[in-house]
Amino acid sequence: MKASAVLLALILAAVNASAGDIEGHVALPTARRTPVVNRRYEIVATEGVLSTSPPLAVVYLEGDWPAPAEPAIARMAQKDMNFLPALLPVQVGTRVEFPNLDDRYHNIFSFSPVKRFDLGRYRKDEKPVPSVVFDRPGLEVLRCDIHEHMRAIILVLSTPHFTLTDPDGHYRLSGIPPGHYVLKAWIDSRTTRERPVEISGGETVAADLP
Amino acid sequence: MNGPASVGISGFRFRVLAAMMLLVVVATGLALLFAQHNAEETVRRDFERQFRGELAAVRVVQEVRHAAQAERCRVLARKSRIHAALEDSARDLLYPSARDEMRDLLAPDSEAGAAASPFQARFYRFLDATGAVIPPPDATIAGRLSAHEEQRLALPGKSGRAETGFLPRHTAGGREVDEIIAMPIVSTETRETIASLVLGFGPMAPHPDEGAEIRNGLWMDGRLYVPGLTAEMQADAERLLAGSVTSGTPGEGANVLLGGEPFLSFSEPVNAGSHYPTAYLVGLCPLADSFARQRALMWEFIGAGLLLILGAYVIGRGMSVRLSQPVERLAVDSEQQRAQRRRAELALGHTNAELQRSARFSADASHQLKTPVTVLRAGLEELLADEHLAPEIREELSGLVHQTFRLTNVIEDLLLLSRMEAGRLHLDLEPVDLTQLLDGLRDDLDALPDAGEFTIETHLPAGLTILGERRYTALILQNLLENARKYNVPGGRIRMAAREEDGFCVLTIGNTGRAIDVDSRAHVFERFHRGTAGENIPGHGLGLNLARELARLHGGDLALCLSGENWTEFEVRFRLAPQEASRPKA
Repeated sequence: MKASAVLLALILAAVNASAGDIEGHVALPTARRTPVVNRRYEIVATEGVLSTSPPLAVVYLEGDWPAPAEPAIARMAQKDMNFLPALLPVQVGTRVEFPNLDDRYHNIFSFSPVKRFDLGRYRKDEKPVPSVVFDRPGLEVLRCDIHEHMRAIILVLSTPHFTLTDPDGHYRLSGIPPGHYVLKAWIDSRTTRERPVEISGGETVAADLP
Repeated sequence: MNGPASVGISGFRFRVLAAMMLLVVVATGLALLFAQHNAEETVRRDFERQFRGELAAVRVVQEVRHAAQAERCRVLARKSRIHAALEDSARDLLYPSARDEMRDLLAPDSEAGAAASPFQARFYRFLDATGAVIPPPDATIAGRLSAHEEQRLALPGKSGRAETGFLPRHTAGGREVDEIIAMPIVSTETRETIASLVLGFGPMAPHPDEGAEIRNGLWMDGRLYVPGLTAEMQADAERLLAGSVTSGTPGEGANVLLGGEPFLSFSEPVNAGSHYPTAYLVGLCPLADSFARQRALMWEFIGAGLLLILGAYVIGRGMSVRLSQPVERLAVDSEQQRAQRRRAELALGHTNAELQRSARFSADASHQLKTPVTVLRAGLEELLADEHLAPEIREELSGLVHQTFRLTNVIEDLLLLSRMEAGRLHLDLEPVDLTQLLDGLRDDLDALPDAGEFTIETHLPAGLTILGERRYTALILQNLLENARKYNVPGGRIRMAAREEDGFCVLTIGNTGRAIDVDSRAHVFERFHRGTAGENIPGHGLGLNLARELARLHGGDLALCLSGENWTEFEVRFRLAPQEASRPKA
């Protein structure tokens, strides 16, 4: 059992050795508001579509990836009456912690079909930090029962290869094993762009998503 | 005071009293009618104002309650969980989430009739974006409603604002109307109404202060929902108010008879502009009290009116007595005066007849006397004609003839006087030149045998013309001059002076001689009066009397103006002839 684990690690290392990168540019919707200087993002709903403001995209490689051996842990804090970050992509099986960094109660809940949960009210010093494991892929909308304006999106993906673009739309995915993939860019709750991409190994593939 | 006068006085008094009473009654009646009308109007207005005030207070309380309820709805409609249930594809969690949110708002047992607090809801429902009711998974979770009632919560379409409506219900507490508020739930994502939350609140419990005074309730779909009305009143109200409630002017009261009792009713729409059927707030106020007050007021006014009239009668009576007193005196006086006048007239008649008789008598007497005197004189003159008479007899006879002349003069004067007194002497007035007349008379005086014994002075303006009959004017002056001559003293003088004064000619004839003593002055003009100095002076005492009567008949007068030591002066006035007629005919 232990030997097989070591072997797997070796194989993975070999794969990694020949892994390639993808970088490119996602054409983001024009920002409706002036760019936020402190780089804070929030979820806005425009005509029924949730997106971040200023616009950001999540770029990921679709495909059937094995679940990670060790469940990953991600964080989505509540700070200054907002979720931070407002858009969080995670791989299926990730435990997301929701620390309350404000000096008041928050009550995180979601009625989204992906994962219904309600963390109840808690304060800053709540230990252990309330967390939820997201075990199904999909779009999770988070709200605070106390503060109606608070909104966050957790994008649960079945891939470990994902990243957020920068405000200009540039992204870079690293360590991708060679192969044919479908590259997707989540722009908002209704828009996802995709294109095929081929990784030969050890090289950086340019893939723009217009 | 007796007889017709007293009857007339009491009649006058009665008429004064009657007129005053009529005036008072009419004035009092009008004033009271006006005042009573005013007072009644005031009472009615006060009553109506009070009623309206109370109704307005009810309205305010209801509005406050409604505002509080609407605010609760608004807060609920923003709740994250409700939004999450609607927006994040979790309809199944809608009612449970709402129930959790409304745990304190929903009455513990919505079937138990009246809600524990006016701010507690009896039921709630969600409407979808088209306004149709989203049925709750379980009736107990959201308050029980019949299918029909639930159907009435639906709205015809999307509504961007809160709607207020009323839902008639048959509950354990009887017929009631629940107030419903439909609050739109606006998506934070689309800004569109994605659903509505409808909350139902029980009717407001009547305020204990209201008691039986004012009843208020709702009118909806031709039915009246006012607690505490008898079936009869309810039926009457629904029949009578059907037209006025929905079409009447808001705020205008109407009098209606409910179950035999008068009520004042007011109505106004409470949810105008809502998509739910319009309901009207109806206030019913029993008027029995107000009517009783008005009736009491009317009796008070009638009493006051009667008192006033009684007072007016007493005062009027006193006043009529006082007013009639001078009239009464006047009447008595005039009655006495009438009697006196009658007596005086009677006496005057007698006197007149007497006078006429005596005047006629003296006239007759004069006539009767003149003839024998003439006969007598003729006889005496015949005797005198005899040349053989002894000188002493002749002297005696000539004295007798002279006496007959005197007798004739007296008779003539008496005749003239009696004619004057009988009013049978009529003067033919014409301009007479007085200066000329006096000059002639003076000539006559000068021709007398004793003319040398006195001097005559005249101060006469030329052409002094008076109005008179020459014959009688001459007689007046003749008599005066005769007197002036007779009562003169030897070596004395006679003075005639004339002047014009105020349309009169004032002629003074003075003579020297003994003064007339004070006692006699008043009697000089009396008939047959002769001065004390005149015992040996010829005359018969008719001259001055005749002169004065004639002067007065001429419109003038004769007066003794001065009788001092050695000087007596008479003043005679004549009217001056008008200028244009002053040319004497003579």
